[in-house]
Amino acid sequence: MTKQYSRFILSFLLVLLVMLSSGLASAQEQTEVGTPRATTLIVDQLGGRINNPTQTNPYQAGTHMSAGLHQLIYSTLWEINTATGEQFPALAAEMPEALNDDFTSFRVALRDNLRWSDGEPITTADMAFNIDMVLNTPEFPYSGFLSQVIDNYEVVDDLTIILNLKRSEPRLAYTLGVHIWGDNFRMVPKHIWENEDPATFQNYPPVGSGPYTMTDVDPNGNWFLYTKREDWQHTDVGQIYGEPGPEYVLFRFYGTEERRIIAGIQNQLDIFTDISPEAWDILRDSNPNARAWHENFPWANFDDPCERGIVFSNTQEPWDNQNVRWAMALATDIKSVGLATFAGILRVSPLAVPPVQVIHDAFHKPMREWMTEFAFEDGYQPFDPNYAVDIAAILAEQGVEGLPEGEDALVDLFGVGWWKHDPAKATEMLQAEGFTLQDGAWHKPDGSPWQITINSPSNFEVQSQRLAFAVADNWRDFGIDATVQQMDGGTFWSNYSNGTFDAGSYWPGCGALPDSWDLLDAFWHKRHIVPIGQPAPGNAMRYDSDALSGILDQIAPLPSDHPDTIPLLTEFEKQFIVERPWLPMFGTSKFVPVVTTYWDGMPTADNFYEGPWWWWSLFKYHMPFIQPKSDS
Amino acid sequence: MQFAKFVVTRIIAYILVIWIGITVVFFVPRFMPSDPVESMLGRIMSQGAYMEAEQVKAMRATLTEAFGLEGTLADQYFGFLHRIFVSREFGPSLSLFPTPVNELIGRALPWTLGLLLSSTVIAWIVGNAIGLLAGYKSRWMSSRALEVIAILVYPIPYYITALILIILFIHINPIFPLFFSVRGEPLSLEFISSAVYNSILPALSIVIVGFGWWVLSMKALASSISEEDFVYFAKLKGAGEGRIMTAYVLRNAILPQVTVLALQIGTIFNGALIAEILFSYPGLGTMTYNAVLQADYNLLMGTITISIIAVATSTLIIDLLYPFFDPRIRQR
Repeated sequence: MTKQYSRFILSFLLVLLVMLSSGLASAQEQTEVGTPRATTLIVDQLGGRINNPTQTNPYQAGTHMSAGLHQLIYSTLWEINTATGEQFPALAAEMPEALNDDFTSFRVALRDNLRWSDGEPITTADMAFNIDMVLNTPEFPYSGFLSQVIDNYEVVDDLTIILNLKRSEPRLAYTLGVHIWGDNFRMVPKHIWENEDPATFQNYPPVGSGPYTMTDVDPNGNWFLYTKREDWQHTDVGQIYGEPGPEYVLFRFYGTEERRIIAGIQNQLDIFTDISPEAWDILRDSNPNARAWHENFPWANFDDPCERGIVFSNTQEPWDNQNVRWAMALATDIKSVGLATFAGILRVSPLAVPPVQVIHDAFHKPMREWMTEFAFEDGYQPFDPNYAVDIAAILAEQGVEGLPEGEDALVDLFGVGWWKHDPAKATEMLQAEGFTLQDGAWHKPDGSPWQITINSPSNFEVQSQRLAFAVADNWRDFGIDATVQQMDGGTFWSNYSNGTFDAGSYWPGCGALPDSWDLLDAFWHKRHIVPIGQPAPGNAMRYDSDALSGILDQIAPLPSDHPDTIPLLTEFEKQFIVERPWLPMFGTSKFVPVVTTYWDGMPTADNFYEGPWWWWSLFKYHMPFIQPKSDS
Repeated sequence: MQFAKFVVTRIIAYILVIWIGITVVFFVPRFMPSDPVESMLGRIMSQGAYMEAEQVKAMRATLTEAFGLEGTLADQYFGFLHRIFVSREFGPSLSLFPTPVNELIGRALPWTLGLLLSSTVIAWIVGNAIGLLAGYKSRWMSSRALEVIAILVYPIPYYITALILIILFIHINPIFPLFFSVRGEPLSLEFISSAVYNSILPALSIVIVGFGWWVLSMKALASSISEEDFVYFAKLKGAGEGRIMTAYVLRNAILPQVTVLALQIGTIFNGALIAEILFSYPGLGTMTYNAVLQADYNLLMGTITISIIAVATSTLIIDLLYPFFDPRIRQR
């Protein structure tokens, strides 16, 4: 009895010990960098390992900003909210105030009670110092830019400064603030930098204006650890939205997609940057807490600010012919391209601006009726407004569940429509231009076989890569010898800039705000055109249109909120459709899932306070919304 | 006198090889269809900065000057030679500007050397030992079994082997870390132990893929040498099996294996690109790969120049040492 009793007690104690130790381990679960897992937000590090991890000088050309530096350390004067489609004052107290009618002088006020992460106040002395420093440091690439903008400044008081500009800048908040991804004017503290040579200063560890400090980095550049500032109340994030939730944020590089998915399955990664649709299938099957932007189909977020399609080198034959470009649109079966690219999980766009929610509402949907009525000179109406309904039917046949019902909902999801797939009309248009179809193969007017080479990214931007192959398949079916040339980033962009390409899977259609004049101007104004072989400062497609450039010139002096700005941009879109200088096809679908095992408040379609742009500078404004789960 | 002539000839060849190699390294990237300035500008502009034509021109001029790409090709070439042989530096990395290339290579090189030197030597020792047994003791069951394993493993692509190891030992049985992270002060016990722990799986993958070739080549050599007259003579003389295997067969079979090992050790300065990518291991391989993608001339020239010097030096050392290993060469 005594023996049995002793054995029972011993077993009980052992079980208790195991339970206690496992509970203790759970309560004290640590990340590999020694922080408590439950309060450490782990973010996928975009761009891979960073080989110069302690180079945190934000003005140097080779500094990597997207491993947390611009997301958490530096705030900008004006930021963007992609959910509302508006800019808002960040370090600035308000939007810039124009002091004259030609927009060459502005009053800028800073928020009161802001401090650098070392406790010193942020004042206009810092802003003036940054302007002088950048202008006097030609080693900074940004120096050339700023010197074209700012003439001089007048410091009024600690929080007010007047900027006098070299040219009219009706959109100063675009020029010195964020309207997509981030902005290069990232203020650094005068009291530290005035004692350094800015061209060579490493700036590690950085003293910044954002809500976190960089507390540790991996010498090999595999991870960066950020810790919440105790004085977060003295940051713009704290003043606007309140206390950030995560005590620590760890940007971490896991390597290949396979390893990142394993990390997600093991709850070692909370926030992903791009993964493929196939990888998402594995992740959601393996971790019940994995969550994409939408809870069901289409899962992906469609609001990335650049649309994808096929561009042409427009000064070269036959792309200098508007009818040929139109024929290529009609020779393309957009549904098959969408299915082959991302299994139909895409929103189409027939316009020069991307179909992100706010732009879709401002341009695509209001112009749908006009596009449906739009006709060529011969009366042919090329627009197919039924794309959304048709692609939904195809997906339903494939067994996809959770599709919305009703045309309006489908248009919201899949887009307003695209151009008809009408090979007969495309054939008619090409033959009218002297092209001939011989034994099923198209020949150019000079009799030579028509070959098209489509440039494509090789190991990056997978959507553009897949799209290039899908379009080439389409055009081959139509009888054109179309091939895809995959290229590394340097070659891909050099060919684009120099105009030494035939066609390419590029993305010259970007914007996150309804007023996307600046990017349309950069992509399409004829004043940017340089001869082929020279790097283009803009308009790499070298599309020379008096009509489009004229409309852009009319918009240039108008501020974003001017009543004529949106109507003129709409006129631009109509003219763009008539001339068809490139073939925009789809907005970018981002599979950027999160794992909610440790966190509440991640942005999703149902909790849309901001888009899932972890690699943008606006990520810092997610922080007050993301809170640790109480039971983790 | 004869030996001195031999040494001088080899050293002249060594210098010529290095000069031709680094000259090619200088010119080849400049004929690539990509441009580091455009690459950097593309990166800056793709990050949302809108610029007028004049602003882009100003930025292009700034970057061209900062990157040292002004002047004729000849100016740049002689500047490059001066930097290598006089200043002993490769200038700033263009993609990670202004971080010096020497600093980047200095950080990555120990990882590459640590991983590839150890795994190459281990694969060489294990492979040759098994190959010797398989060749000399071909009737032993264990020899045959090991040879079969080598034959089976050898043709499996490295990528597949590495993925299998990742799935087995990181995903299903998480014995090894998913996340490459080395902690502690350099050369501290914590640092060394975590470096070894993080490196075991990538090293194992390289050993598994590498040792098969050594087994097969050594087996062929050992089988052939075992049939030689001097081996029979040794047996008839009553020499022991162990002595015949090591002093007669191994000693003769090992010579070509030493040559190949030396050349392999020279090439490890290229890094192990796929291993580094799959195991997120820091090293020269991914650094060189990224330098190509981003047209980072200076970094590319730095990594490849080191590789050229390493291969040329190891070849020279082998050439100079060979007469000591092989008396036949000494007699010529």
